Amino acid sequence: MKKIAIYGKGGIGKSTIVSNLSVTLAKKGYKVLQIGCDPKADSTLYVRQGKPLNTVLAVMRTNNKDMKLEDVICTGEAGVICVEAGGPIPGMGCAGRGIITALEKLETLGIYKQYDFDYVFYDVLGDVVCGGFSMPMRKGYADEVYIVTSGENMSIYAAANIASAVQGFKGRGYATLGGFILNERNVKREQEKVEELVQDFESKLVGIIPRCDIIQEAEENKKVYVTYEQEETPCKSSLETLAEALIC
Amino acid sequence: MRQVVGLTSTYSSDEFGVCSALYELGGMVVMHDASGCNSTYTTHDEPRWYDQDSMIFISAISEMEAIMGDDDKFIEDLVQTANELKPRFIALVGAPIPYMMGTDFDAIAQIVEERTGIPSFGFMTNGMQYYPNGISMAMERIVDFYCTEKKETQQNTVNILGATPLDFSINGSVESIQEWLKSNGYTVNCTLAMNCSLEDIQNMSKASINLVVSTGGLKAAKLLESRFGIPYVVGVPYGKKFASKLLEKLKLKKTSLGWDRKQVKKEKHLALIGEAVTSISLACAMEEENDVSVIVLDPLNENNELYRTLDVYVPEEDDVMEQIKSVDGIIADPLYKALCSNKEFYPYAHVAFSGRIFEKDLPNLINTEMKRK
Ligand SMILES: Nc1ncnc2c1ncn2[C@@H]1O[C@H](COP(=O)(O)OP(=O)(O)OP(=O)(O)O)[C@@H](O)[C@H]1O
Ligand SMILES: [Mg+2]
Repeated sequence: MKKIAIYGKGGIGKSTIVSNLSVTLAKKGYKVLQIGCDPKADSTLYVRQGKPLNTVLAVMRTNNKDMKLEDVICTGEAGVICVEAGGPIPGMGCAGRGIITALEKLETLGIYKQYDFDYVFYDVLGDVVCGGFSMPMRKGYADEVYIVTSGENMSIYAAANIASAVQGFKGRGYATLGGFILNERNVKREQEKVEELVQDFESKLVGIIPRCDIIQEAEENKKVYVTYEQEETPCKSSLETLAEALIC
Repeated sequence: MRQVVGLTSTYSSDEFGVCSALYELGGMVVMHDASGCNSTYTTHDEPRWYDQDSMIFISAISEMEAIMGDDDKFIEDLVQTANELKPRFIALVGAPIPYMMGTDFDAIAQIVEERTGIPSFGFMTNGMQYYPNGISMAMERIVDFYCTEKKETQQNTVNILGATPLDFSINGSVESIQEWLKSNGYTVNCTLAMNCSLEDIQNMSKASINLVVSTGGLKAAKLLESRFGIPYVVGVPYGKKFASKLLEKLKLKKTSLGWDRKQVKKEKHLALIGEAVTSISLACAMEEENDVSVIVLDPLNENNELYRTLDVYVPEEDDVMEQIKSVDGIIADPLYKALCSNKEFYPYAHVAFSGRIFEKDLPNLINTEMKRK
C-alpha cells in the first residue's frame, strides 16, 4: 500500500488531479481509496458521479458510538472507494482538529485493514494552516507528499510554504516530499519558474498537466475528466504519465 | 437536561490516569498543559504526592505557544530537564489545549528520544476522557515496551494489573490483595503500578496468571495474553466469600471474569456507583454474604464485556437519578449523596471522584467479613 498526500494552494486543481489519478489507477486494476481532507467535502464529488456521501464528522456527530465504515464510504467510478472527512459549520469550531479526529476514526474503524488498498490519496485543503492539516503527512498516514502548483506567483509561494513545512518536520518520521506537479495556468515562464522551485527543494517535477477546458465540461456533466473525454488528448496522456510516475 | 453535572462531582481525567499509573516507575512525566492544571492532580487526585517523590511536571504552555504551535520550546525544556534528572523514561501527557492544536506527541517523543537517548512515549490524552482510559493507555504502552522477552514461567506466580490510588487509595488495600494471594500459595510477581519498578515489569512474563483489579489494567492483560499466553482473571478479592470464589477462578488458570454474569433481583435491592471491576467485585461480595442484590452503575465507560445482568452504564447524572429510583439504597462516594436525598445512603469514598476529602474514612474491604446486621 502506498499512501500519498496531495497539497497545494486553494483552487489550484488538487481535487481534479487526485480524482483523475484515482480513476486512472483503478482502471488499471488497482484498489484505490480517496479521502477528501477538506471541510468543503467536495474532493470525491465527480468520482462519485453525484452519489451522496455522508462525511465522517457528520456521522460522528449524530452517531459516534454505533457508526460503521459503511456509513461513510461510497464506491465511485471504477471501484474507487470515496471518503470525505467533512468539518464544522463554516466559521465555527476547529476544522484542523476535525481532520485529525476524522482520520483517527477511519483508522479505528479499520478502513486500511478491511480493504487491501494499493493506493490511498489524501486530498488536503489549501495550505497547512494549522496542526490538523499536517495530519495526513504524519507517521502512519501518507508516505509521500506531492504539491500541486501552477506558475502563478501566489501558487508557487504557497507550494514553497508547504514544502518547507514538510522539510521542517524532519526527525518526526513524517511523509517525505515526493515531488511537485505543475497544473498549467498558461502564465509566462511557467515551467521555468516551477522548475526553479523544484530545484530549491532539491526535489523533482513528477508531472505537467496542461490547461484544458474539457475538464470543466466534464464537471458540468458530473464526471471525472479521464472518463468523460473519449479522445486521446495531451491532457489525458499527461494524467496517464503522472499515474505511471506514481506507480514506480 | 443532558451532559450536565449539577449536583455531584466529575471523575479524574485520562491525563491524571496516565500520571497515576506511571507515578512510581522512575520516569519523567510531563503534562503539556497550562500551569495550574497540574495542581488538581497533585492536591486532589494523588494521595502519594506529599510522601513519595516522583518526577511529575507541567510544561506551562503559554497562550502564544499555543497559538503559534511552538513545539520547539517544549522540546528544548524536555531535553534540558531530562539531561539533568536522567529519568528512566519520558512520558508526554496530552491535555485539552494540545488536543485542540493537534500536537503530535508521538513525533515529539521521537525527537526527544533521539536527542536524549532516553525511551520516550507520547500519550494522546485530552482531559475529556476519564481516568481509566489514561491508566489503560499508560499500562499497555509501558508493558508493550518493557516486557518483550519471555521469561521461564513460574507456577503459581501472579501479576496484579490496574492498581492505582485512584481506585484503591493508599489505605492498604493493594497490600492486602498481595497478602491474600501469598496466604493462598501464590507468589506476587509485579503489581502494576504500585510498589513496582521497571525491572518488575520486564519480568512480568514469568507469571503463570494475571489478576486484573481495575478496568485500567485490562488492556495490558490482553497484551500479555496475546504476547506470552498468560491468562487473566478479572476481579478484586473483596469480602471473604467472594475472595474464595475468585481464588477458585485463579486456580483454573483460564482467562475469565471473577464473577457470574447471571444476577437475580432480590427483595432488598441496592445500587453501587463506581468503576466497573472494583464495583462489580464489591457488589458480588455483598451479595455473597447478605440477602440483597446490588447493581453496579458505571459512570465511566461502557464496559459491556464486564457487566452482569443488571449492571448498567450511566454516562449522565440524569441516568444515575433514573436508575436509583428503583432501588432501596445506594452505596457510593459521599459526593453522590446530593442525588439520593430520600434513600438509604452508604458512603464509600472513591479517590478518583472526591479526591482526598474522605481519604481517612476509606475502609479496606479486601478479604473481610461482609455480613451486615
Ligand atoms: N488543468 C486544468 N484545466 C482546466 N481547468 C482546471 C484544471 N485543473 C483544475 N481546473 C479547474 O479548476 C477548478 C478548481 O479545481 P479543484 O477543485 O480541483 O481545486 P482544488 O485545489 O481542489 O481546490 P480547493 O483548494 O478549493 O480544494 C475546478 O473547477 C477545475 O475544473
Ligand atoms: Mg479540493
